[in-house]
Amino acid sequence: MAGKKQALLSALILAGMCVLPLGLGIYPQHVLIVSLFYVMMASSWNLLAGYTGQVSFGHAAMAGIGAYASGILTAKAGINPWIGIGIGTILAALVGLGLGALCLKMGGIYLSLTTLAFSQILHIIIVNEYDLTRGTMGLQVPALMAEYDKLSYYYIMLAAAVLILAILHRMIHSNLGLNFRAVQNDELAAKSVGVKVLYVRVLAFTVASAVAGFAGGLYGHYLLLITPEIPSLDLQFYVLAMTVIGGMGSFIGPIIGAFALNILAEKIRDYGEYHVLVFGLIALVVARFAPNGLLGLWKRFKPIKPIQGVKQKAVPSP
Amino acid sequence: MLAISIMNGLVIGVIYALAALGVSLVVGIMNVVNFAHGELYILAGYFSYLFASALGVNFLAAMLIAIALVFLLGILIEYTLIRPTYGNDMYSLILTFILSIVLQNAYLLIFGPYPNKPPLWVKGATDVFGLFLYGNQRLAALLAGAAVIAIVFFVVKKTWFGRIIRATSQDREMAELNGVDTTRLNMLSFGLGCALAAAAGVILTPVFPVTPTAGVAVALTAFVVVVLGGMGSMWGCVVGGLMLGLVENLGAAFISTGYKNVFGFIILILVLLIRPAGLFGRAKA
Repeated sequence: MAGKKQALLSALILAGMCVLPLGLGIYPQHVLIVSLFYVMMASSWNLLAGYTGQVSFGHAAMAGIGAYASGILTAKAGINPWIGIGIGTILAALVGLGLGALCLKMGGIYLSLTTLAFSQILHIIIVNEYDLTRGTMGLQVPALMAEYDKLSYYYIMLAAAVLILAILHRMIHSNLGLNFRAVQNDELAAKSVGVKVLYVRVLAFTVASAVAGFAGGLYGHYLLLITPEIPSLDLQFYVLAMTVIGGMGSFIGPIIGAFALNILAEKIRDYGEYHVLVFGLIALVVARFAPNGLLGLWKRFKPIKPIQGVKQKAVPSP
Repeated sequence: MLAISIMNGLVIGVIYALAALGVSLVVGIMNVVNFAHGELYILAGYFSYLFASALGVNFLAAMLIAIALVFLLGILIEYTLIRPTYGNDMYSLILTFILSIVLQNAYLLIFGPYPNKPPLWVKGATDVFGLFLYGNQRLAALLAGAAVIAIVFFVVKKTWFGRIIRATSQDREMAELNGVDTTRLNMLSFGLGCALAAAAGVILTPVFPVTPTAGVAVALTAFVVVVLGGMGSMWGCVVGGLMLGLVENLGAAFISTGYKNVFGFIILILVLLIRPAGLFGRAKA
């Protein structure tokens, strides 16, 4: 059974991820933690763009809402960071619900324009409201635990990412996931067989926003300094590039993309600040010539699977 | 204060209208929003700076060369990136967004983060109706912008080529049946859209210098104008552009300068709530 094999593989990878940081130094651990943040961001953006065909440019803004809501509450009002993250998540979900309801009726282009405008508004507000957010200086926020420890952060991020991925996986492989795909492929046809298009879209938007808010909140309490870099177009672009390069519309694509690009970014940084340009060029080529990303390319060239139930000689795995 | 804010609003409003016309043309014909519109605006500014300030070409010639180069680049972009995505709006959104980020970072690498600015066309200031002294360069920008808009209106409303454009944006299939080569028209109109961004760029950059990311705000404003005016409506662009220019400048003068760009977005959200089709748009079924 393919399902069993998949489950076994996932368990193996998870076990590998659990022991991976033990032998590593602080710097590689940091890279892994940031990668896990991007895994959550890219996977949830993929739920929007890859599964329901809504290209949102406000995903980084949602992470910013989560980060700043939690950051302000904990730093200024002394609330427990975990409760702060919870509130940030809910706030991001509510904003997502509002934005979704506002522009989803009008379809693709309006959504992209409005989310782009929204992320710019948020950026301007954060930079301008110095008293509350400390503008471009950045807001110092408390850590999640009494003693700052990279390894604990790694396991928290890993747990969070696994939880989010499990939720997204379940959603995508449920009836709802079929509805998502139906809406993406042919809105009219989906409507005609009784899919509530608007409801499905707004739901996907709300869930994705909540995930981004959650990831952003965690990330903020890891960095300990939140700056307007989180709700920025650059971060939005990373998330988009990771998803597009990894493989939009596939479950594993964004995960691979997030790890690959974030690690690659660190390597390129040794030579200077060229990583955004390099990612842009790669993403442009991939989006143009391989719209299903690297995963799609790999699938296209790997040997055809033997038909289930028919005994064949084992094919050496690629 | 009021009078000068209105004047500033008019100048910038004309440029917004010009930038929005480029977006609107492409949306109307191809149903594609070019997210790299602002970066092409900036590119034209850099070109005119490069030719006029660095190479010493006459400023007018430098502007025309800049517009022509951006027009050609637009055609190239359409041919290589946009054409394969026809029928899938999502990919054109993603591709042009990536393109805008690539261009921003390329500018940063080539020109550095510092503001650059082509030479002024005219010097000095004029007394406007005895109310205030106003920079001649800004007045010239206002006139030049209005002139380009007039040319665009003439071409689209009065010429044979304009008839083809209008026919295709109204009903693509019917236009095709009547012998319009829509593939070529797409290429041309995308190039023209980019050229209009470039025109706005060369006119405004002597007043507002270019930086690698200055295009984002311009493009966003152009998008807001297009949605405000109604997708594909040319009068909508003009009225929307002027309105937005006025609202931004009056808001900056009387409410807050830091939030200058937010006022436009508030209008956008109000329009989406109250009249999603925009001021001059027809509601789609």
